[in-house]
Amino acid sequence: MQAPDTLSATFAALADPTRRAILARLADGEASVKDLAAPFEMSQPAISKHLRVLERAGLIEQGRRAQWRPRRLRAGPLRDIADWVGQYRRHWEESFDRLDAYLRDLQESKEHEDGDDDDRHTNRPG
Amino acid sequence: METTMTATRIDRGSTETTTIYSEGGDLVFERTFDAPRELIWKAFTEPERIPRWWGPKGSTTTVAEMDVRPGGTWRYVSSAPDREDVVFYGEYTEVTPPSGYTWTFMFDVEGVGPQGGPETFTFEDVDGKTKVTSVGHMGSPEVIEAALATGMVAGAIETWDRLEALLAEG
Repeated sequence: MQAPDTLSATFAALADPTRRAILARLADGEASVKDLAAPFEMSQPAISKHLRVLERAGLIEQGRRAQWRPRRLRAGPLRDIADWVGQYRRHWEESFDRLDAYLRDLQESKEHEDGDDDDRHTNRPG
Repeated sequence: METTMTATRIDRGSTETTTIYSEGGDLVFERTFDAPRELIWKAFTEPERIPRWWGPKGSTTTVAEMDVRPGGTWRYVSSAPDREDVVFYGEYTEVTPPSGYTWTFMFDVEGVGPQGGPETFTFEDVDGKTKVTSVGHMGSPEVIEAALATGMVAGAIETWDRLEALLAEG
């Protein structure tokens, strides 16, 4: 589990379309600030500012290897956010499947009941 | 639901049985069940029925508290063999049998605090069947966009991390 402040910092960092585009670019592999600035009509300092926000949110890090300090993605916070929505989605998809099965069971047993006990229920359409 | 801009529906991977889309900051699930609306209402609001279906496959749900009326609170404990118990809880804010209800759906994240938001269920009668719509408020459209978009990215990074570790081993 990540540190308390990180989740909201992650959400805030992801709220900006330029930063999401930067992340998408980094998903293809590490890149220099110059490479990252190229697709945008933005100065390198403006891009650097976005990179700092992403870095503070723990979404990216600076590579150690090369002199040009390439930026790369970090998996942790991204995975946490994706997990939450993913789990919510899985919760409803699978609960609905279980509910469907439960309702079938109920209605099957109810049909038997109705057959055995005609006085209790009036016939329903359908 | 408050939306500041015109919300567009975006499909989020609907399946054969369930329509899933986002609209603004909401994530919506729609499914039609072959059962009368009264039965759907009972399945969602009678405590003894909840453990029969609520929660993902392989999990079990215990109802600790369930007071189905506006202002009433609820608390479910979800258990699964591969994780610690998770407590979901909240408060009913609108209850209109048999057509639906709204509650807050909350859970605590260690070190972060309560997470979640309002969730609305609507039950519509469609020729004897019932269309169930669940609308969960995820925060902002950006959160949904980012979360679903980054799901794949996160998966890709893990793959590279493994590759890198493998390469580092020589």
